[in-house]
Amino acid sequence: MNAVSLGAIYACLGLGFSLIYGVVNIINLAYGAYLMVGAYTTYWLFARFGLDPFLSVPVTAAVAFGLGYLMQRAIINRAMRVNIISAMILTYGFDLIAINLILVFWSADYQVITTAYSGRSLSLGGWANLPYTAIGILIACGILALLLNLFLNGTRTGIAIQAASLNPASARLVGIRIEGVYAMAFGVGSALAAAAGSLLATSFPVFPGVGDAFLGLVFVVTVLGGLGNVWGAVVGGLALAAIEMASVPLLGPSFQQLVAFSVFVAVLVLRPYGLVGRQFFAELK
Amino acid sequence: MANLLDLLRTPRGRRAALAAFALLLAAAPLALTGYWLRLLTNVFMLAIMAESVNLITGFTGYPALGNGVFFGVGAYALGVLMTHGGLVFWAGLPLAGLLCALYAFLLGFAVLRTKGHYFLMATLGVMEATREAIKNLDPLTGGDQGLFFPVTRFSPAQLNVYFFYVMFGTLILTVGTCWWVVRSRLGYAFRAIKASETAAGVLGINATLYKTVSWAISAFFTGLAGGIYGYWATFIEPPAVFDILLAVKFFVMMLLGGPGTIFGPVLGAFLLEISSTVIWGWFPRWQLAIIGGILILVILLIPNGVAEFLRRRLRHAGLGAPARQGAAG
Repeated sequence: MNAVSLGAIYACLGLGFSLIYGVVNIINLAYGAYLMVGAYTTYWLFARFGLDPFLSVPVTAAVAFGLGYLMQRAIINRAMRVNIISAMILTYGFDLIAINLILVFWSADYQVITTAYSGRSLSLGGWANLPYTAIGILIACGILALLLNLFLNGTRTGIAIQAASLNPASARLVGIRIEGVYAMAFGVGSALAAAAGSLLATSFPVFPGVGDAFLGLVFVVTVLGGLGNVWGAVVGGLALAAIEMASVPLLGPSFQQLVAFSVFVAVLVLRPYGLVGRQFFAELK
Repeated sequence: MANLLDLLRTPRGRRAALAAFALLLAAAPLALTGYWLRLLTNVFMLAIMAESVNLITGFTGYPALGNGVFFGVGAYALGVLMTHGGLVFWAGLPLAGLLCALYAFLLGFAVLRTKGHYFLMATLGVMEATREAIKNLDPLTGGDQGLFFPVTRFSPAQLNVYFFYVMFGTLILTVGTCWWVVRSRLGYAFRAIKASETAAGVLGINATLYKTVSWAISAFFTGLAGGIYGYWATFIEPPAVFDILLAVKFFVMMLLGGPGTIFGPVLGAFLLEISSTVIWGWFPRWQLAIIGGILILVILLIPNGVAEFLRRRLRHAGLGAPARQGAAG
């Protein structure tokens, strides 16, 4: 059950990452920092005000949306005019600053959230035990995926984002302000990262290295799933969790990451648009 | 100051300035303390890797952000050769470099089929997968416990000087090789591939082979740096030598100095490492934030690299071949 909820968190992380990558076309190395913004804000709200970690999801998502929107609007858009690789290095600079801030304010310790229902499970007639936090994570990730799908396909901004992803030049021609769309996509993607971070904090310990540990896995999720639709990341997230689970009895727990990254490189080489991705969305620009 | 800049306007003046700078560095152990020697050795190490990644990225157009994988493989290859193979440092080091070159050559046929972002992510994936593989090869590599190199008989002060010259010599070898490669047929093929792989193919260049060779040379020197580092540090463990921060650092040094130039990456290594170490000394708790802040400032203020910046100022100072544009892509 923990593997399934972890898969759901992977999927949620993959959604935001592939949104930013697919639309803005930069590999956001500060993505792990947004996850930590979510996780630490949730931890802080819980420890300081006793706010339930699930209820803090909207708060952390809103904070991360604002930060992400500003970062893209004010800084990354400017760097992107020169060179896309430089823009990516820029995000790494922000990642380092975020990690340093967390180290200074919270130290390198593991922080754990223990609510009244932590460790308790819903018993299904003796043949399955579902931890309450895992159920909560699954429901929350489902809602987030649905909301994103509604946003991308049901609102003008969402359709503008898709248009900008497919062809920035034509999108500009029909009157879409690309810079604004980029900032919007970056903000929404960052919000998803923070939401995933909050959900992660409900069941897993958080520490300053957690963002970078998950960043590598987000690459795998994104590439496994492919770009261009919401379900790609969901498939990728669940596939990664399944790969990790399957590699434990076959090779042992220490081989989990080796298998995951080997699959990742193989998929990149053989099928770069992912398992369910749409080919045009992942084209190189 | 104006006279100094005039000196740099002629090829002979530039060669003289370069020779003077190299001599000054070679004499540094006479005057500097251990701290500064170690700092310079570190700068040389990063310069070797920045110069190497420049070959595949700056000249051939493939952004190998995960080139740090060869640093780790080089360190581990030398460590295993010395502890289990009983080789001495000087016998093991070239072998470690060759192993890295072979690794890149074999990987290249698959991984270099991808381009741009995909190649960049694939190299990071290769780095993570290799780190995990080395963790799991514990009979040879010691796994998570790390690996100790054989102990030397020298005093710490002697070792400072020894590794300073080893790293310096390797840097000269790296820059010299790159200088020669870039002017040879290989170099023309690399640049043709960067400009347009299809067009290069039409001209009869076997792009797959040439870009694999470019990556293998790059891996060879990165592996040498890794091997020397391992012997210098005497202890290595997977997270320390397969470090994303290190990989990004020398990649940025290449970008900062000037991709596609000979001396740009070396310049970038000197500027970035010395400035970040000095500033770090003032604010010891903020090391990561300082590096991060410098990365951001560098990208926003000098997006095309220092070499390009100087070239414009000096007109045809041409620190190596002209920088065409930013990095690949």
